[in-house]
Amino acid sequence: MSSPPRRAAWRKGLAPYLLSSPAGLWLLLLFIVPLLIMLSITLKTCSPASGQCVMTWNWGELPHVVNLYRTQFVTSLIFAAVATIIDLVISFPIAYWIAFYGGRRKNFFLIMLLVPFFVSFIIRTLVWEFILSNNGVVLTFLKGNHLLPSGFHVLGTGFAVVAGLAYNYLPFTALPLYVALERIDRRVLNAAYDLYANRRVAFMRVILPLTVPGIFAAFLLTFIPAFGDYVNQEILGGTANTMIGTVIQNLFLIDSDYAGGASLSAVLLVISLLGIWLYAKLLGSRTIEEYL
Amino acid sequence: MGHVENEGSQSGAIDPALWRGMTQRRFTRRQAMGFAGAGLTSALLATYGGTAVQAGASSVIGSAKWWKKQKLHHVVNFANWPYYIDVLAGKHPSLEHFTKTTGIKVNYLEVVQDNASFYQKIRPSLAAGQYTGYDIVVLTNNNPQLGYMVQLDWLIPLDRSLMTNFNKFAGPLVKSPSWDPGNKYTMAWQSGWTAIGYNNKQVKNPGTSIDILFDKKYAGKVGMLSDPFELGSVGLLAIGVEPSKSTESDWAKAAKKLHQQKSDGIVASYYDQSYIQHLKNGDIEVSMCYSGDIFQADLNSKYKDLTLMLPKEGAMLWTDNMCIPKYSQNPLDAMTCMDYFYNPQTESVVEYYNDYICPVPDAKQELLRPTGWNKAALKSLQPEIGLPTSVTANSLDVFPSTKQVKASKSYYNFKSQDEIDAWNNLFLPIIQGA
Repeated sequence: MSSPPRRAAWRKGLAPYLLSSPAGLWLLLLFIVPLLIMLSITLKTCSPASGQCVMTWNWGELPHVVNLYRTQFVTSLIFAAVATIIDLVISFPIAYWIAFYGGRRKNFFLIMLLVPFFVSFIIRTLVWEFILSNNGVVLTFLKGNHLLPSGFHVLGTGFAVVAGLAYNYLPFTALPLYVALERIDRRVLNAAYDLYANRRVAFMRVILPLTVPGIFAAFLLTFIPAFGDYVNQEILGGTANTMIGTVIQNLFLIDSDYAGGASLSAVLLVISLLGIWLYAKLLGSRTIEEYL
Repeated sequence: MGHVENEGSQSGAIDPALWRGMTQRRFTRRQAMGFAGAGLTSALLATYGGTAVQAGASSVIGSAKWWKKQKLHHVVNFANWPYYIDVLAGKHPSLEHFTKTTGIKVNYLEVVQDNASFYQKIRPSLAAGQYTGYDIVVLTNNNPQLGYMVQLDWLIPLDRSLMTNFNKFAGPLVKSPSWDPGNKYTMAWQSGWTAIGYNNKQVKNPGTSIDILFDKKYAGKVGMLSDPFELGSVGLLAIGVEPSKSTESDWAKAAKKLHQQKSDGIVASYYDQSYIQHLKNGDIEVSMCYSGDIFQADLNSKYKDLTLMLPKEGAMLWTDNMCIPKYSQNPLDAMTCMDYFYNPQTESVVEYYNDYICPVPDAKQELLRPTGWNKAALKSLQPEIGLPTSVTANSLDVFPSTKQVKASKSYYNFKSQDEIDAWNNLFLPIIQGA
């Protein structure tokens, strides 16, 4: 026989779990379970004919595909890193300007920044393919005026892929940076000026350190999806700059090599998790959600 | 109709989907497996010369008895490759004539972009024992997917009694071919060569050999195809091995040759169907190509510099095949439609537009002297094509000589999945850029 107060206490302790159970169930069914299925497929052997997979505990698949496709991993790392750095360099001044000089029209400027991204991801990339093609507006004009040699092309190059990545993921960099800059207490800045800091010193020693968590969050939010992206490479790139996302997509959708695709996905996941772990280690796990 | 609110009412409107589920025959997994088993038995019996009709197998999908029970539904869903049938003002004259004479409406869908990814789309339905949505699909004999369909018993054996045009008019190239002896499951749609295309303005002395693809003179201007089976076969021809008679050690040598070609900087890129655009643009000067593409490009006077070469080592000959996937809901309509395309009158209209190798030799006479409805159809297509029908009729790329056919090469016939894997492990890394 439990006394009424103890029963109430027990209920009270259960309440948070009950309240979070819809979200927990969601996470379990649509994230944890698929993740475990994906990991289990890495150990299976699948028939390209029937598509059926049998558990064979094949631990060799993972090192095999990583070894086979290591060039594409390196390409992806470089492309994603370069695109992220370009995004940081481009969007920092924009975010800075909106946060400090946007005034009452901050929201308007933010919306202007986001408007192009209301169009679907694929359509935006396809339009770039159209603009940059050999017979497209830009190259025809430049070649017609002998500003470029006639053999020059953009599509199919690594440059086109990096440019596509940088363009498509720009808001993922700009918004966290804006949030970080916006939150800086103006009085801290005034204090710096009171203490005879000039604008450069105030920026380097006050603003920049205070935005570091935002920069790191922006880096992760841009780098991780860009690393696994295949749309930009597929549409704007060529055979010489295949990224790991393209390989995974081909393995799943064309070659029916589910074990290989799942193994490469698992490696991608581990690399992404490493980034997040590093963030939590250096800046604390509480701050990241403020930028999402 | 649209606003029946009946929460809690018992006699109200029932979801139509539910009705369908209750009234239509469904195949359970066990039934499907039973069919598969029975299909295999009958196939085995057929191989040993016995007539497979016995009590247990009488209603097996594709048996004569099963076919007798089928009825026309006056609709057929046809999945084919793009740019593969006559087009006039957004309509297909050959299909319109078919609908007019048979009352069967054809939903002609250009959804097959390549064998592998199309197979991936229909496989889940087949594995679950369900209708794929298509009554006719077109698959190529040079990729393993057609073989998978046969192996897994996912094709409906054709109705022999409904192949009258086929039996009468099919050419030797497509009658009882090596990949489907006796045309048990397939009838060809079109065939073609994988050969060499070049721009005769930029390439002055092409010669007659496949070596042109490996010539350093054209470094950075050579296009190769990204299909591993095409690429590997060309590699084999280049080292002087007949693909159909090759061994695994030959494959390794061919792969080495192709790796060398790549590391020497000869290859501009590995293309899918887009190679033709690059050849037209002048991005590449010489390329592996599909025969019909070059002929079609030539029709357009702007690109008449493009020339097709059937190299002396031989050109790979492939065939796209119509077949009926299992659980098709309109198999009889599909049979009727497939056989209709073996009428020389029909084929003359199709061929005038698409210029691949015609499976019906008699279509040549129909192009020169049309004898029926095709007369008006060919005439109305003429402004679109811009060339007299005699050009198509006399083209050796459409109605090849026996000598040409004899000189063409067939693809390697894979005997097991291990062989396919071995092939892919050698040639895929070349294409994927590792």
